[in-house]
Amino acid sequence: MDWLPFLWLIFSCMNLTLLGLNFYEFLGFSDLEADYLNPYELSSRINYVIVPEYLLHGALCILFLMTGHWIMFLLSLPTAYYNLKQYLSNKHLVDVTEVFKVVSTEKKARLIKLGFYVIFFGLVITRLALSVVSAVFADDEDIVAWSTIY
Amino acid sequence: MGMENPNLPPRPSSAASLFLSSAPVAGSEALVIRSAPQAFSQFPTPPFSSGPVVGSQGSAFRPPPPGSSNELVRPTPSPVSSSYGPPPTGFQRFQNFAMHSTGQAAPPLPTAQPVVPPGPPPTGPPAGPRTLAPVPILSQPQPPSIPMRFPDSTKTEQIHTNVHPSQPFSLFRPNSQPSSTSMGPSFATGWAAYQPSFPGVANGHPNSVPQAPPLHPPSFSSQQGAYAPPAPASPFLSQQRSYGPAPLATSIGYPGIQTHDHGIAPPTGTPQGMAEDFSSLSLGSAPGSFDTGLDAEALPRPLDGHLELKSFAEMYPTNCSSTFLRLTTSGIPNSQSLASRWHLTVGAIVCPLAEAPAGEEVPVVNFATTGIVRCKRCRTYVNPYVTFTDNGRKWKCNMCSLLNDVQGDYFAHLDASGRRVDLDQRPELLKGSIELIAPAEYMVRPPMPPLFYFLIDVSISAAKSGVLEVVAQTIKSSLDSLPGYPRTQIGFITYDSTIHFYNMKSSLMQPQMMVISDLDDVFVPLPDDLLVNLSESRNVVEAFLDSLPSMFQDNMNVESAFGPALKAAFTVMSKVGGKVLIFQSTLPSLGVGRLRLRGDDIRVYGTDKEHLLRVPEDPFYKQMAADFTKFQIAVNVYAFSEKYTDIASLGTLAKYTGGQVYYYPSFQSSIHKCKLKHELTRDLTRETAWEAVMRIRCSKGVRFTSYHGNFMLRSTDLLALPAVDCDKAYAAQLSLDETLLTTQTVYFQVALLYTSSSGERRIRLHTAAAPVVTDLGEMYRLADTAAIVSMFSRLAIEKSLSYKLEDARNAVRIRIVKALREYRNLYAVQHRLSGRMIYPESLKFLPLYGLALCKSTPLRGGYGDVQLDECSAAGFTMMALPVKKLLKLLYPNLVRVDDLLLKSYPQIDESDIIKMRVHLTVKSLDTRGLYIFDDGFRFVIWLGGSISPDIGRKLLGEDFSGDYSKVSLSPRDNDMSIKLQKMLFKFRESDPSYFQLCHLVRQNEQPREATPTSATKCINFSSRSDEKGPTSLTPCLHPLEQNVYA
Repeated sequence: MDWLPFLWLIFSCMNLTLLGLNFYEFLGFSDLEADYLNPYELSSRINYVIVPEYLLHGALCILFLMTGHWIMFLLSLPTAYYNLKQYLSNKHLVDVTEVFKVVSTEKKARLIKLGFYVIFFGLVITRLALSVVSAVFADDEDIVAWSTIY
Repeated sequence: MGMENPNLPPRPSSAASLFLSSAPVAGSEALVIRSAPQAFSQFPTPPFSSGPVVGSQGSAFRPPPPGSSNELVRPTPSPVSSSYGPPPTGFQRFQNFAMHSTGQAAPPLPTAQPVVPPGPPPTGPPAGPRTLAPVPILSQPQPPSIPMRFPDSTKTEQIHTNVHPSQPFSLFRPNSQPSSTSMGPSFATGWAAYQPSFPGVANGHPNSVPQAPPLHPPSFSSQQGAYAPPAPASPFLSQQRSYGPAPLATSIGYPGIQTHDHGIAPPTGTPQGMAEDFSSLSLGSAPGSFDTGLDAEALPRPLDGHLELKSFAEMYPTNCSSTFLRLTTSGIPNSQSLASRWHLTVGAIVCPLAEAPAGEEVPVVNFATTGIVRCKRCRTYVNPYVTFTDNGRKWKCNMCSLLNDVQGDYFAHLDASGRRVDLDQRPELLKGSIELIAPAEYMVRPPMPPLFYFLIDVSISAAKSGVLEVVAQTIKSSLDSLPGYPRTQIGFITYDSTIHFYNMKSSLMQPQMMVISDLDDVFVPLPDDLLVNLSESRNVVEAFLDSLPSMFQDNMNVESAFGPALKAAFTVMSKVGGKVLIFQSTLPSLGVGRLRLRGDDIRVYGTDKEHLLRVPEDPFYKQMAADFTKFQIAVNVYAFSEKYTDIASLGTLAKYTGGQVYYYPSFQSSIHKCKLKHELTRDLTRETAWEAVMRIRCSKGVRFTSYHGNFMLRSTDLLALPAVDCDKAYAAQLSLDETLLTTQTVYFQVALLYTSSSGERRIRLHTAAAPVVTDLGEMYRLADTAAIVSMFSRLAIEKSLSYKLEDARNAVRIRIVKALREYRNLYAVQHRLSGRMIYPESLKFLPLYGLALCKSTPLRGGYGDVQLDECSAAGFTMMALPVKKLLKLLYPNLVRVDDLLLKSYPQIDESDIIKMRVHLTVKSLDTRGLYIFDDGFRFVIWLGGSISPDIGRKLLGEDFSGDYSKVSLSPRDNDMSIKLQKMLFKFRESDPSYFQLCHLVRQNEQPREATPTSATKCINFSSRSDEKGPTSLTPCLHPLEQNVYA
């Protein structure tokens, strides 16, 4: 039984979650700017999800590494580094008192991350499709050869 | 004599010869001392014969011990003192200056070898060379120092200290100027006395005048004159006027030399209009010279009281007073490109509850039946700038131009000119500042009662220092005047390693104390009765306050469970809101929010980690502050410790709750009692606005983007202020939304919605209009230095929380430099003013205030200069200071009072005192004088080294000659002491927000270590570095000058 499609399914699920979390955070900041949300609520909401998000990304990273997907691992590394840096310098949590000073930069950061995850998601889905295809047509030499090249 | 020993440390006599031979000023002084009639005929000779006379002064020429140059600056006690006073006083001081500058530059510069004039000065007397010889050596170190003017036109001969053979005289220019400023009026008079003696000079060379500006001292006094000109002369004209005498050297002796580096002066016939645009300051240094070229003394100084923008107020008479709202420039740029060329930030300083100027009380309006009239779209309140149309049925919003319907109740017909017929009865349409009574829609809950909650640290240090006693007494005496009787509520918590609650139920005779020792999970022992109505429980409260000091006087507990106590207070208060007053005497050491000693690692200073010392260490404090604000609780922190208390963390509580930090380093009951008492009383009794929010609206196209001060933002433009009072100001920066503004006027409306102590919901409105300008020059003309400085101080302090102090200071400098350079680009080229720093009249004090800001407590130096706690405390204070108080703090008043004490003035008025202010330079200090230095937070009483013993004895009693750090200025039973006390009282009365403690400083005497360290520091600071002598000024402005040129 080929386990690759399942692996890629897990990857894509994780990726989708990350995408969702980031979008949620981005939405929070937008709402704050538009005054639909007060800073207290925003900080409690975002601070609640931020560490799980970082952990999830870290897990994804490590999973890539463990399963030998070097390229994907390297691609996910910059974001992991960014997360780690934020975490270590204690900037990952939203500071409720100064949130309005950072709201635009935070939004920008979330937007970039969103873009990153979207692209990443595209890659993961492609690989998922390919792995499914290769699993189904395992006996078809050509496709297998093609997918390994990729 | 000087000739014979050129290389020895100058002796008095040689110095004397220097003066006499080199500087007309000195010469004339000598003449004054001796016989005046000889003055001109024998001019060259007196130097050698008059040594002893000026000798003692000359002693100042001795090479100063390194690092003590400031000492030198102070005139030393001198037998010549008799020469002071009469008109020539100015010259006397001038001479002092010369000495000072000479002394400053200790290492003789090899390049400064005496330059023998290329030839005998054309008009010079034969004595010229002879007198010259000693001079260069003496003055070498700082070539510029010697003012060169001879009263007689035949003696135009100069001393050549210049490095630059080709321009022997260029150096004099810049330096001679400083001296004149310091003397100010006295010099001017002295000079005036002289003028008749060389009539030809002044008039003879009108064209060369501009070239020589720096050459002669009077230019300063006259420059000053230009700011408050006796005649309506423009700065330029007056400068020219003042240069009158100066051309001597240039025109007669060495014409053309000055122009070389100085640039070409504007044509004499400068158009009036342009002359009004700016003033200028000679910054030109001679090429190759070591002098920065800046004459410190030429800087205009704000002696004439506060900076006000009169013209602007006249333009829009219905604007609110500038005490409430000040714009950094009243000309709003019409495009983003224009705004980007304006480096001084566009913004406003708002002090919504400032004490209204006398006679302009804010009227209260009650729209009882109509409801508050506001624009439907932008929610702007009706104000004097709205226009009524359609025969009074519609009104057009001035912010968003929406046509609103006028409600039936508010309707009034328009008269022929389009005015409402009932205009006179509508203060909201007449006045820029009004207060509306808000109806129920503006309440989220019933108006809260004023609530005071006291959180008192009772650990050993509090008991020992006497804090408890003073606090208890003060609170007790303020009980009657607490705002909001009879609704006022009050409560107490004390804490050391445990937390003590007090049940103050009105039915009790004595308060019940409940001790909670579980700090991890603080629970409140009683559901209510910890917070009681003052009028009901008055007896219990008084009983508690009476017993508080004695209860803990033997407390040996050193711990302080501050965090848990804070949480407990929060739990008790969160239903109501109000104000917490924290009296903290030690570093919080137990439970959540415990802090550790920081800042004792000197290596951190100056590194990228430095700023971490100025931000709260534990996120607990920020979180607590946010929670407090959410529940409408303001926090005022009173800190008393002599050791590190981490004000940076504690102050955060005040910062985000609209509170205030009071810091009494090393509190000692005997010294600080009055101060604490006054400030606590004021804190408790001043009119306070509770559970307030503030929003500043402005016209379409512009937007407030950032806010600075002590508050918390609840949404992008809504400031949450649990408590506001007249001592709090907020700054906001403006930016343009659109690339081009099409409107002619931009309107601002500050709206503060609050609950008054009496339980009324009110809206305080301040409306102002400002013109939109298309021209950068106009922006400069309408600039408001005071607001700019206030804005800069907030920006810099905020910057110091995330960067090094150095960076914060640089940011201020860079902004000023950029602004001046931009201004220069605007005008200098077309008027060929190279070599001079030009600045608009409106910004004439900006460089000075910028410099003062960089030297202010929160931004100054590093580890050695200011203790971390002081730095943080001052930072929190300055973030909230209203404009005028900030200006006073940055550029304090210095008043000489010994004359006043000796003479019998019946009454001393505030205005007289303002007039008596002198420059904050070391040169203003006379050894025989008694000065009061007042920055709004403390007095420093400076006694000259040779002050008359009589004054000293009368004021200080027999301790006069003792150690000043131990002497207090207690009232004594003699007229002089009484008069001084009266004077101090007057000063304090004029600025009641803080109590100014007196610090005594005697010239040349370092305050001893015995005094509390911080007090020592402040005295040091005041007596030495703060008096901005050229020493300190020059290096600071040096980069400024270089960059403006670049």
